[in-house]
Amino acid sequence: MAGPDDSGPPLPPDGDVQANELPEAAGRRLSGQTWSSALTVADLAACEAMGLRPVALVQGFCVMQWGFYTMAGAGSWGSGPPSQATGAAGPYAGRNSGASGGYQESWPCPHGIASLDHRWGYNLEQSWVEAAWSQGFGSAYRRMVDEAREAGAHGIVGVVDRAEYLGEQSVVEFHLSGTAVMVDGTGPAPTLWSTYLAGQRLGKLFEAGFVPVSVAAAMASVQMWPNCQTEYLMNGGIGIGPMWGGSAGGEITQVTRAETAVRHLARSAVRAQLGLDTLHGASFAVSRRQSGTGGHVIECTLRGTRVRRFKDFDPLPAPRPTVPLS
Amino acid sequence: MTASPPPVDLASEVRRGVAALAGPPPPGRGGTSDLSIDEALLLHSVGWEPVELVSGVSVVSVPWGVWSWGQGEIGAASGAHASAMGSAAGRMAEECTSAGGQGVVGVRVEVGIWPTHVDVALVGTAVRPVGNGPRTADAGHRGSTPTPFMSDLSARDFCLLHGAGWRPLGLAFGSSFVYAPRRTVSMALGQAGQNVELTNFTEAMYQARELAMERMQRAAISLGGTGVVAVVMRQGPMSFATHAVGFTAWGTAVRLGPEGHRHLEPQVVVSLDDARVAFQASALRADAAPE
Repeated sequence: MAGPDDSGPPLPPDGDVQANELPEAAGRRLSGQTWSSALTVADLAACEAMGLRPVALVQGFCVMQWGFYTMAGAGSWGSGPPSQATGAAGPYAGRNSGASGGYQESWPCPHGIASLDHRWGYNLEQSWVEAAWSQGFGSAYRRMVDEAREAGAHGIVGVVDRAEYLGEQSVVEFHLSGTAVMVDGTGPAPTLWSTYLAGQRLGKLFEAGFVPVSVAAAMASVQMWPNCQTEYLMNGGIGIGPMWGGSAGGEITQVTRAETAVRHLARSAVRAQLGLDTLHGASFAVSRRQSGTGGHVIECTLRGTRVRRFKDFDPLPAPRPTVPLS
Repeated sequence: MTASPPPVDLASEVRRGVAALAGPPPPGRGGTSDLSIDEALLLHSVGWEPVELVSGVSVVSVPWGVWSWGQGEIGAASGAHASAMGSAAGRMAEECTSAGGQGVVGVRVEVGIWPTHVDVALVGTAVRPVGNGPRTADAGHRGSTPTPFMSDLSARDFCLLHGAGWRPLGLAFGSSFVYAPRRTVSMALGQAGQNVELTNFTEAMYQARELAMERMQRAAISLGGTGVVAVVMRQGPMSFATHAVGFTAWGTAVRLGPEGHRHLEPQVVVSLDDARVAFQASALRADAAPE
């Protein structure tokens, strides 16, 4: 199994990781006499030129089922402004903040009528979904790292990750793959590094003074149950004032807050993995889907390569523009 | 010709970098960036560095039914678009400032226009001068106003703009949604089956275009700009509104720096690749058809 000093996405909770779970057949194959790689020919040539020797195409899989919604750890309803956790950036940084349970906001019904059509609205961070995503991604990542370690690699380049719903909205398959490489002229590595980059881009990263530490990724999920006012506005109705969720032609504050929060939460979660390092080549992906009657789930995934500076930056000369003659 | 930098022993740099992983990370403040390594290097070459990934979102309501009947501009829709853009840009600027950035480059603009609301999401990377140096006269800001600049230009275009002596100021945007008046029954029947221009739509398109472009240029002036580069236009009918057309435009407002325009003097290069005889791996396949 990966050593405790390994960098990378957060480990699954204790007990979810089986010791030495690398399939025996995979171990036999990885210790064989040939190597495999997902690198293109150009990337292979670039890796060879920088002393990186491919040893195996490594993969990790994990299929996760999301748990049902529970109120455990979600704190109380109607707590007004989002929780303000210390040490994390932004007003939506209450994620995993202990008893507060993360980001949550409520919007009262402005009409004061108790009926099915008049109700409060809630934005709630789905921390159990985020935890499941983190566990699935982390398990697949660790299994990929295990294969690389079995092959005697120092790092993994050209990582590709995929997370797809398998039919149901609560079952997701995680698949990570990459090319395990050895660094010529070095002994066994205490830590195994990984990166989404390969080829010339990876070479330029090293040349610029950065070394990849690991891939970093996080998903944030916010469930939005609109209050009657938000629902009216989303359906083109007429509101009665911004303090109750916006008015026609005005901002729909509950939706805006949910959309803003999910981005902040994803960024805060990745930032928590970075320490003093930086995230390079980040990609933001936001998806929305309906959930139940009138409800919406907004999910944001942020991924990139965590890099560390190992030498002072040598500034490039100002680039010279060129015009090709064809 | 300029002297080429000495070649780098990349293999030794890789070994050095990997060995550094065994030690503690250098002191500093972590950050996030969606720039590629090429873009980060380009930014450094002109004295800027990425700080943090920043975003701004706004969702604004459009009253039901405004798209269907009426005359002239659909003010509620145009206003909603402007309000959503303005609020999203303002939030991204706040995030940039709180992250210590002096501007945002590579802003991706995502706009959704729906029957009952308009949503806008902006994402970009906050940047600052290398070493967090003081704001200078050519830092791309608006005079003495501490508002950070915003640009949807890529880092490459930002560097070219910088090299040419121009400064980005902010995102200028304008939009307009206009009714295309319905034809009378007799006119519709008279034109049935004929090749005929639907002037009601053409005129509505022109009206929307003029209003949107004028608003964008007015926004550029209010940012202190003298022009707008890389204007993105979206125009046409909406799938949910059969008698309305929309025109939205945005771009980066720019102003010439104090030292004036600098000619980039691009170097002319000739590629030695010849497309006609370029190697194609597929030609080596056994089942490849002979030419």
